[in-house]
Parts: sequence; structure tokens; C-alpha cells
Amino acid sequence: MKKLLPLLVVCVMIFTACASNADNKNENAGAGNAGGETTKVTVWAWDPNFNIKAMNFAKDTYAPDHADVTIDIIENAQNDIVQKLNTGLSSGTTKGLPNIVLIEDYRAQSFLQAYPDAFYPLTDVFKTEDFADYKIGPTSFDGKQYGLPFDSGVTGLYVRTDYLEQAGYTVADMQDITWDKYIEIGKAVKEKTGKDWISLDPNDLGIIRVMAQSAGSWYLKEDGKTADIAGNAALKEAMETYKKMMDANIVKIHADWSQFVANYNNGDAASVPTGNWFTPSITAAADQAGKWAIVPLPKLTNNEKSVHASNLGGSSWYVLNVPGKEKAADFLGATFGSNVELYQKLVTEIGAIGTYKPAAEGEAYKAGNEFFGGQKIVTDFATWTAEIPKVNYGMHTYAVEDIMIVEMQNYLNGKAIDQVLEDAQKQADSQLK
Amino acid sequence: MREAKAVNLRNKTNVVGWSFIAIAVIMICAFYFYPMIRALLMSFQSGTGTNLSYVGIDNYTRLFSDSTFITTLTNTFLYLIVQVPIMIVLALFISVLLNDKDLKLKGFFRTAIFLPAVTSLVAYSVIFKYLFGADGLINAMLLKLHLISVPIQWITDPFWAKITIIIAITWRWTGYNMIFYLSALQNIDNSIYEAARIDGASSFKQFTKITVPLLKPIILFTSITSTIGTLQLFDEVMNITKGGPGNATMTLSQYIYNLSFKYTPDFGYAATVSYAIVILIVIFSILQFKLAGDRND
Repeated sequence: MKKLLPLLVVCVMIFTACASNADNKNENAGAGNAGGETTKVTVWAWDPNFNIKAMNFAKDTYAPDHADVTIDIIENAQNDIVQKLNTGLSSGTTKGLPNIVLIEDYRAQSFLQAYPDAFYPLTDVFKTEDFADYKIGPTSFDGKQYGLPFDSGVTGLYVRTDYLEQAGYTVADMQDITWDKYIEIGKAVKEKTGKDWISLDPNDLGIIRVMAQSAGSWYLKEDGKTADIAGNAALKEAMETYKKMMDANIVKIHADWSQFVANYNNGDAASVPTGNWFTPSITAAADQAGKWAIVPLPKLTNNEKSVHASNLGGSSWYVLNVPGKEKAADFLGATFGSNVELYQKLVTEIGAIGTYKPAAEGEAYKAGNEFFGGQKIVTDFATWTAEIPKVNYGMHTYAVEDIMIVEMQNYLNGKAIDQVLEDAQKQADSQLK
Repeated sequence: MREAKAVNLRNKTNVVGWSFIAIAVIMICAFYFYPMIRALLMSFQSGTGTNLSYVGIDNYTRLFSDSTFITTLTNTFLYLIVQVPIMIVLALFISVLLNDKDLKLKGFFRTAIFLPAVTSLVAYSVIFKYLFGADGLINAMLLKLHLISVPIQWITDPFWAKITIIIAITWRWTGYNMIFYLSALQNIDNSIYEAARIDGASSFKQFTKITVPLLKPIILFTSITSTIGTLQLFDEVMNITKGGPGNATMTLSQYIYNLSFKYTPDFGYAATVSYAIVILIVIFSILQFKLAGDRND
């Protein structure tokens, strides 16, 4: 042991020396590269049927005029992207990282603030006023625009019209309702059809976030750093509404995405308030064509600020501050930043609704959808997108959510709501620094 | 003259000897000790992403007031206290059965019980998730047999989710531990049992008085590796329940993952939690050595 210790110390010293040498070398190499032209632009994104497809369309529109740039699109699971970015950026070596990366809006601030200078500002690449207001907050930091807003997470309420009719209601009864009314109709549907009204995952409080944002409120205060839980009226009402649903026995529980989709495709659940990106999952059950409608999101019953529009998920494109950033920024600006045609294609081919306002004037946005009985769903979603209250998702959405999930269980098990919120606030305060 | 030669020769042998192990030593230093020391330094820092700054022992005091850490610690201990003994006893029992001379199809049974140990952690976790789903095979079976009237929420109920995890890791690791016992059993001289039988010892007596004492070093080894394995439990929980419902099944390792990758990264605090695991593993290993009364170094 006595001999081992000096040996260790020596080894550590050698390696510290090696490591710092290596750092120097890398920096030199990086500087050398920046001088020459990099023509390969690498893109990381998840979901081959949605984001990757969209990126491929963008690539196709850009490629003919830009022979000097090759776009290389690589599919990675979202968790893997988050993990790779975190390890890559924190180690300080940008080698192996892409030029363009897709980041979920809820997480964007955590990257922008945790790794200053890691991203390339896109302020001059596109006009922020062309995009939905609510997207700009999460994608910018310190007065600079870093993200190019991509898909809208605008929410709507998907509902089975045939089950509604069996319970004595019509789609007209579902327009612009409150969550209390929603639960009331749900009870009737459950009674008449035996089908559950909604499918929820106790580990994912997406619906709470949707309700809170509909009232312009979030887990965090305006600054994006302080938890806003105790005394948050919207959050409190959202949780109470959640419990009412559970108590009304109209909820089917699922534990993962595939069960969630299956509950609707099998006809076991009758309505789902969620983001518009859920449309392909609904239309996947071809035998249910004509049996679905999309109505505006219900609003909180007792909150005046609550509107019939909210957001769930959604992501934006970011350019990393690595060689090739100018080309990457130019590519994004020319495609997602200004190409109305591209957005029409995204709607017709993928069903992806962007947040680029001029795109709403296009033909594809005005077409009816046969699956939903000819309803002009894209127009509806685009209208609701404009109404989404702007909130700051801040840096700690997922950290607070995990605290809320636990406290929600306590609440459902009988703990008083005010105590629940206070305890959650205390935990969040000690955890968020 | 002669002495000088001898010294020279000894030096040479030393150099040759050291150079043989030098590569391994350097590698171990580079990939084990160096990161360990850096992680230790990191555990005294806090901040988001690359904005780390030294905060002294703040991270360590934060551990004691962090309710998520305490919950994950309790969960991990629960797995440890319930699962490890069950698995060790089960593995011991099965290995004794399989070591029976008169057993037919020995190879088949051994393979069958060892087979879970070669499956990928993620693959089996995903299969368990579906087996134990609300509409899964296990529930369907229990319902058909009229053992239960409503499906058990294996994944979404805090209590049953823990049971599911324990069943899953027991299935996966029992066969692995059994192999150690089997190989040790085959090294026990049959004449000892013969002598015991002549003295009129029952099978149970033979088991408790001969088998168990002779297997003691192996039992110690498997219980230490199982303890370490349980403290590092990650894949199963991540894939079967994602730590839920709430954080009812979350383990320390998953909490480290969440701190580094799910939330806004705080690598400093994550390193602190990792060191908490290290300290626990050291304490437990010492404890087990002491309890087993093994003086061999």
C-alpha cells in the first residue's frame, strides 16, 4: 500500500499533463478547420415518421441550389440526443457533435443556460415575428435567438363522436367547455357506453402542464428558475381537476406510450386532450375513420385567465457553435425559416404543423381531413396556435415535474391540496439552485 | 565484480517484470483512478452544465435534506434486504438439488436455470414490463385461474411495482449465483458426505453442517457481488417502471442518471450521489467480511 500511493500520484500527474496537452492540440485543430470550408452539415433528430421526415423534405428543397453542402441526417432517440449533448458539451470537446440538433422546448433553456457559447445565435437568419409568439421565449436567451421554432405542440381535444352520441351528446356540446363540464360528459359516456373517457399515465403530468399553460402559468416563475407551486392558482385547480377525473372513475391508466395509443386504437377510451402530433396515432386506426372530431381544449372552470388553447411538447432546431455553423444556419434559414412551400408539404405528407405564421395562408392548411369527417383540422390548430399563452418553461421543468408526480400521488391518497403544494414548493426550492 | 553482476541482473529482471505490468498499471490509472479522483473533486462542485464552482461540502449536506435521495436510498435498501437473501437462499437450494448424482437431465435443468443470466438486461426488462402489464399475461393467467377478481396494477401501484422489480431481478440473477455454488459443491469431497451418512446424519443436517459451512467463502462472495449489484441497480427499474409510480421504485443509480441527463445537468451533485454509493458499498463489504468472520485478505 505504501508503495502504491506514490505510484498513483505519479500516474495521476502524468495523466493530468497528458490531458491538458491533448486539449491544446484539439483547440489548434479546431482553429485550423474553421479556416477551410466544411461542406457536410450533420443533423440529429428523433422520430423517423415526423422530425426526420420533415428534415428530409427540407434537405430536398435545399439540395438542388446548394451543391457545395451535403446534409447528413442521423436519427437518434431523444434521450440519446440529450445524453450525448450533455456529455459532449460538458467535456468541452465538440468532436462528434452535429451541426444542427433538435431540442424539445421544455429542455431548451437548460441547454442554452448550462452551456453558454455552445450554440450559434440565429438572430439574423430568420424573422422571429414570423413565428408563433409562445415559441420565442423558450428558444431565445439573453436577447439572442438561438432556436428556429419547428413543430407546434398546440393542443386540442380529440373525441369519439359515436360514443358521445350514445351518451346523448353531440360535438356541438363539446365546443368551448370547461374541465368540469368535460368530466360531467365523461361520466355520462362511461355510464352509457362503459368506455373510459380518458387514458392517463400517473408518471406523466402532461395534462397538468397543458392546463397550467392554458392559464399562462407554469411550474416556474417568469425568471424560469424559481419554482411557482404554492399559491399557484392555475396549478392548484389543474391538480384538483385531475383528482376529480380520478374520483369520477372515468380514467384508464396506462404505463407507456404503446399502451396509451392502444387504448384509443382499440376503442377503450373515448377522448384525449393532447398535442396535435397525436393525429397520426389516431388515424392509424383506419376502422375508426369518421368517428373522431377535434374540439378546442376545455378551459379551467374557475380561472379567468384560462383560454381554450395550450401546448404540449414541441421542439425547435438549434445550430451548435462548431465549424460549419454558418452553412448550417443558412440551411435552416432557407428552409424552415422562410419556405412556405415546405410547410405545405409537411402538412400534407406528415401532418406536421409548424409555427411559421405565413404558412397558414397556403392551400394545404385549408384542406379538410376525411378521417375527421371533413373537419379543417389544420386551420383549427393554426388558429389555436396563435392563442397559446406565452410562458417561460425555464430550466427545471422535468425536475419539478418529478416532484409533482410524487406529490400528486400523495394528493390522490388524501393529503390536503394546500399541504401538497407547500411540500412540493419546499422540495423544489431546496433542489433548484 | 560478482556482486555488481548480481545487482545488474536483479535490476534487469525488475525492469522486465515491471514493464510487463506497466501497461496494465497505466491503463488502470488512466481509466479507473484518474476518473475516480476527478469525480471526487467534482463532488465538491455544483452548478448547471459547465458552470461548475466549488461549494465545499454543501453537496454532501444537501444529501441529508434531499427527500428524493432519501426515497431512492430507502428503495434501494428495500431491494437489498428483501431480494438478496431470497436470491441467495434460492440459488443455494437449486444448486444443491441440481448437484444430486441421481438427477436425470441435469444438463438441461442447469442450462434452463442459467439461461436468464445471458439475456440482455434491457431485453428481459421490456419483456417483464409486458408480462406484468395491466392487461399482461400474468394478470390474464391469475384472472383465468380465479385467484384474483380485478387485475393487479403490477407497474402502476407503488407496492406491486416494487414486487415486480424484485421478481424480475430474482429471475435474472438466481441462475448466475447458482453457477458459483454448483462449482463449489463439486469441489466438496464426496467422502465427507459418506462419512456423515455413516454417522447417521439426515440430508438436512448434511446441508446445514457440511454444505453451508464449506460454501461459506462462496456465499460471502455472492452476497457481496449481489449487494454491489443491487446498489447499482438501474436497467430493470429504468425499463420496467421508469422509477414510478412517482419515485416509488426509483434507485440511486437512476437518480444519478436523472440529475445528469433528465434535469438540467448538475454533474457535481450527481458525482456526490455516486460517492454516496461508493461509501455504502465499502461499508457493506466490510460489514459482510466481519459478519462472515473471514480473516483471509
